[in-house]
Amino acid sequence: MASISLQNVTKRFGDVTVVEDLDLELEHGQFTVLVGPSGCGKTTTLRMIAGLEETSGGRILVGDVDVTGLEPKDRDIAMVFQNYALYGHLSVRRNIGFPLKARGVAKEEIDLRVTEVAESLSLTHLLERLPGQLSGGQQQRVAIGRAIIRQPKAFLFDEPLSNLDAKLRLEMRTELLRLQRQLGVTAVFVTHDQEEAMTLSDKVVVMRDGRVAQQGTPASVYAEPADTFVAAFVGSPTMNLLPGEVADGVFRSATPGLVLPTEGMVPGPVILGLRPEDALLTPGGSDGTIDLVELLGPRAIVRVRCAEIALTTVVEGSALAGITEGATVGVQARPGSLHAFDPDTQQRR
Amino acid sequence: MTGSRKISQWLTNALLIFAVFMVGGPFLWVLLGSFKTEQAINNPLQLLFVPTLENWSIVIEGGSFTRFGILSAQVLPPAVLVFPFLAMAYALRLNDTLVAVTVAHISLVLPVVTWFLIGFFEAVPKEIEEQAQVDGLGRFAAFRAVVLPQVAPGLGAAAVFGFVLSWNDLFYALILAPGNAKTLPVAIAGFNTFRGVQLGAMCAAILVSVVPVLIASFFVQRRLVRGISGGSLKY
Repeated sequence: MASISLQNVTKRFGDVTVVEDLDLELEHGQFTVLVGPSGCGKTTTLRMIAGLEETSGGRILVGDVDVTGLEPKDRDIAMVFQNYALYGHLSVRRNIGFPLKARGVAKEEIDLRVTEVAESLSLTHLLERLPGQLSGGQQQRVAIGRAIIRQPKAFLFDEPLSNLDAKLRLEMRTELLRLQRQLGVTAVFVTHDQEEAMTLSDKVVVMRDGRVAQQGTPASVYAEPADTFVAAFVGSPTMNLLPGEVADGVFRSATPGLVLPTEGMVPGPVILGLRPEDALLTPGGSDGTIDLVELLGPRAIVRVRCAEIALTTVVEGSALAGITEGATVGVQARPGSLHAFDPDTQQRR
Repeated sequence: MTGSRKISQWLTNALLIFAVFMVGGPFLWVLLGSFKTEQAINNPLQLLFVPTLENWSIVIEGGSFTRFGILSAQVLPPAVLVFPFLAMAYALRLNDTLVAVTVAHISLVLPVVTWFLIGFFEAVPKEIEEQAQVDGLGRFAAFRAVVLPQVAPGLGAAAVFGFVLSWNDLFYALILAPGNAKTLPVAIAGFNTFRGVQLGAMCAAILVSVVPVLIASFFVQRRLVRGISGGSLKY
């Protein structure tokens, strides 16, 4: 196990800079998630750590070793690909044992370790099958087994859950987290799904256009997004971002419709951030009409229209009485929950 | 020259020019089109335009240029290629040997088989090779250990295909090795003598020549089906 350190790492494809001057510390034993929209450079970053992509500048350290110029095979890092990349012509047993065989480990030792790993992943009864005869979830477990068998310095995961159906994805997410805690390994996980990022990570790195937009614990990124991009990207449903102006301790939206009291907010133009769960539908405040109610079970996403402003709110199941489409409600913000962003720089104030 | 001959000459020329235009016109249009932008290409009559190399760079960077380049020899009729081969064979004193036929057949079979195999290799996801590299193999070792086995059915099919192509060729073999080193098709053609065709003997020889092809196809077909159904994996 080891920490991974990226220092001023840059990647260019021709004239296009995909990753620019990236500095990242991925700490020993931590589960770090790189998250961002498509094309933000997260997968390229992962591939550079694995050695599958050469860097155009900067250094990559695994532990104290500079691995920047090393072949993937010499980095001692395991990787799980999005499509699992199982060897279709080899049995599950030989797939899992492959990294050991490639390193010339004795056959008896390989057999022993494969048996151990297969047991820990409930794959024992499938060992003689070919990957083509397995379900998606089973293939996923084989890919994980192949990654953990040689106890590498770090694990890299490239969107490994995105090919699974919703139920299995949740199960595998829990299993991955349990496995990582149990083995105490350094893990880097790439996803475009912010919910996956929030639930899995010790540390989340939000990327945008090849740069780090923000990094920190999931709770801190959620509570204090650094700019409007992170604010809109992290959290589901998306944060309401409302341009307007603060004057005399009150926020007035630029498009008329919403007036909210603000405590201690600097007067002047602002982009106000309001998380859907912090928008309260109670009597008083601005008037709104309920456009749409999407029931999720324990809670509902409620779209409210305040004059010309469309607002997304989340209402707990217990408070849903009287929340029906077409009903008139009052809209208020939970005290102390407002986020303020600079309209020019989009940065948090 | 009389007046009527002049007219007929003139008509012939006009017809020839018309024919050349009919054949050459589309080529000219394609040639011009390859240098036109997307907007300009929609107007076939537009002869004046600012030429662009964008289309060519797409073809070359996309790899299809190399791909078609491999097949370029196939565009020429065999008759164009066989005489240089014969001249070289004479110069190297290899005429009427199987070496000359083999070399000529390689030039014929290799591009076709390469073309045939491109699809098989492209069907193997790049991640398989990368996974093997991460798992501890070098680039070539990864290719040998995980990519080649995946395309084994394709290699088998290509082998039979190439074998049949070479086995059945009459033209190159007849010109490069008509005497002592003649191949089966040349020998079979030999039953057509100046005394007439020895049909019975020819039939027997044809059957003999078919047997190896059948045997090879049989073995490869079994492997092909097993390979495709057994190891297949959806990526």
